[in-house]
Amino acid sequence: MIKKLTLLIVVILFLSAQQGISQEWLVPADKQSIENPSDYNLENVKKGKDLYMTNCKSCHGDAGKNNSLALVPLPPDIASETMQANSEGSLFYKLSNGKGLMPAFETTLPEADRWLLVNYIMNYSPDNTPVWVDLPPVKARLKATVNTVNRLVEIFAEAENKTGNYSNLTETPVNVCVERAFGNLPIGQVLTDNEGNAEFSIPENIIGDEEGFVTVVVSLGEDFEAKKVTVEKLKIGIPKETPKLIKKGVIWSTNENIPMWMLLSYLGAVGGAWLAIIYVVFQIVKIRRLSKE
Amino acid sequence: MEMNKIESPEESRKLLDKIVFDLTRSIVKKDELTRFWFFILIVFAGVGLWGWAIQIDQGLGVTGMRDYVSWGMYIANFVFFVAFSLVGFLISSAMHLLNIHWVKPISRVAEQVAIAGVALAGIIIVMDMGRPDRLLNVFLHGRFASPIVWDLTVVTTYLTISVLLFYIPLIPDLALLRDRLGDEVPKWKMKIYTILSLGWKGNAKQYKTVYHAMRVLMILIVPVGLSIHTVTSWLFAATLRAGWDTTIFGPYFVAGAFVAGVAAVIILMYIYRIRHGLQEYFEDIHFDKMAKLLVFVSLVYLYFNVNEFLVPGYKMKTAEGIHLSNIFSGGYSLMFWSVQISGLILPTILLLFKFFRKPLSLVIISVVVLATAWLKRFIIVIPTMEHPFLPIQNVPENFHHYAPTSIEIMITLFSFCAAILIISVLAKFFPVITIWEYAEEKGIDKKYLSEQPKN
Repeated sequence: MIKKLTLLIVVILFLSAQQGISQEWLVPADKQSIENPSDYNLENVKKGKDLYMTNCKSCHGDAGKNNSLALVPLPPDIASETMQANSEGSLFYKLSNGKGLMPAFETTLPEADRWLLVNYIMNYSPDNTPVWVDLPPVKARLKATVNTVNRLVEIFAEAENKTGNYSNLTETPVNVCVERAFGNLPIGQVLTDNEGNAEFSIPENIIGDEEGFVTVVVSLGEDFEAKKVTVEKLKIGIPKETPKLIKKGVIWSTNENIPMWMLLSYLGAVGGAWLAIIYVVFQIVKIRRLSKE
Repeated sequence: MEMNKIESPEESRKLLDKIVFDLTRSIVKKDELTRFWFFILIVFAGVGLWGWAIQIDQGLGVTGMRDYVSWGMYIANFVFFVAFSLVGFLISSAMHLLNIHWVKPISRVAEQVAIAGVALAGIIIVMDMGRPDRLLNVFLHGRFASPIVWDLTVVTTYLTISVLLFYIPLIPDLALLRDRLGDEVPKWKMKIYTILSLGWKGNAKQYKTVYHAMRVLMILIVPVGLSIHTVTSWLFAATLRAGWDTTIFGPYFVAGAFVAGVAAVIILMYIYRIRHGLQEYFEDIHFDKMAKLLVFVSLVYLYFNVNEFLVPGYKMKTAEGIHLSNIFSGGYSLMFWSVQISGLILPTILLLFKFFRKPLSLVIISVVVLATAWLKRFIIVIPTMEHPFLPIQNVPENFHHYAPTSIEIMITLFSFCAAILIISVLAKFFPVITIWEYAEEKGIDKKYLSEQPKN
């Protein structure tokens, strides 16, 4: 108990110390003033955004939404004042070297990518005009059918345009998943063509339920507001193997597959004993009857 | 059958009167000591029941049993009571069928032990359950291939047979009590005798039916009696645990049961002899014979013990080795060696001498044998559970070892008091020796038994 308490105190001290230090995460002056070698433009910001989505979002959350992970210290939102108070050089230094729970990305990302991330953060700087604007999701419609013979998911997508009418959704990624017990498992992504159509070829090695049935879920990305299409009970998977826990004929089986000799021995022994007991009880009745003679 | 027929009717009647008087004195007599005895038993049993109420209210957490040792003192106690009850099978059936005459006066004592033992064994199993109401699930969802179901079946069957084997030879005695006790017992007691004696007249056909029914039961109890303790041993032996994974557990348990049961019967015989003044009935010769029987069953049990411990001890397989070191030289060594030496080896040697086969010294030895028999069951059940095949880790310290809590001791105390209470009630209500059988052995013709006494 005392050990646990000590550990708890140490952890609390360590975390609060970190929080204290984080507010004054000092960056050497020469590092602060390094200039970003890549240009601040839409292309670079978009690349930075993709990198952010895979490497940073899990802790820092969506820009401007203040939905970062509840860690101590709290990972700041990239659009926040705390984050934007840093110079580009400081941002690069911090995300390269890391501190505490913040990983040192110089071990995982090339220098160019780290500068692209800085570009994406700078998109939210009060001093810059944003080149990338997060638009509200577009209303879209999705249709999908599954051809079990050719093992193809045939998709058609359309989205609402500025005039309020629906037109074909072109060159847009569509996600294909299969339903699993605890969520959807992504099995691939496909781009729509100029007519809003897409075809996804289902892999051969999808495992289904005991009979091989699979449920396919087709959806659009986060930029669209569209209902997912769920196609149930498709015979396109490999039947799931469910090994029988108790094989037939095992001596310790359940009643469903108890060996016949075992059942008969038990019932025979118990039945025999109780028949004899009933016979003896009958003898008692007989003794009583004989008293009246 | 040696039958020294007494020819003179007067002599027969006189002897029968004396036998009936001697054997019913304890039933008729009202004394403070008996009342106090019942009072004490009921109070202590009540305390134990209170412990059970606490356990039902708060759950099995009040016991010392945890995830690893999930069979504790209750199961050890259960095995002890099943063992204790098996003497009914040995004395009132096996030895009767072998026509061993000297056991006849002892058979009712053995049946008292059998009934008390097996009844309590059943109750203890329910007391070991955190949710006793779920006993019903054994009947609803039990598997026919499960030793637990077999055990429940065989305990119920043995209890029924033991009650019948107690009752049927009692019927002629009940008629004697009905005819002879008159005003000496309260009316309600007389009513019980009247109802239970089934209007017994003592005609030849009735005796024939009694003999026949007794014979059927004695034969029936041989397989059932063997099964009850063999199945109890299978509860352990059918699992893959070090110390239990052995093929001789059935006979090992049966042999051990005879040792415990014979000791229990000797103690009861001695108590009846002293308390009820039955020196002429439980004679020195009976104690001498019982002592020899105890030596015999102890030697058989010793033989099984040598097999049970020497063979795996010679090999010391990994898991078995850990278990055996624990009981040979580890934490259980003191208990183990004192049980083996003072409960088995020493009594066997001492009882080879005539001096120790005398009633008083024999009963002292029997008390030691019975107490160590209880501890032996503790050693059979608990150390194995403290050594699972997967190491015990990341659990609170109190999961590592088992020690019974006061609630467990209270409930175990209940079982002892309840068992003694059953025996005491049976001894207070019915003669401790089968009168008609005893009279017959003494050469009194059956016709005198059904005569109405002239007061």
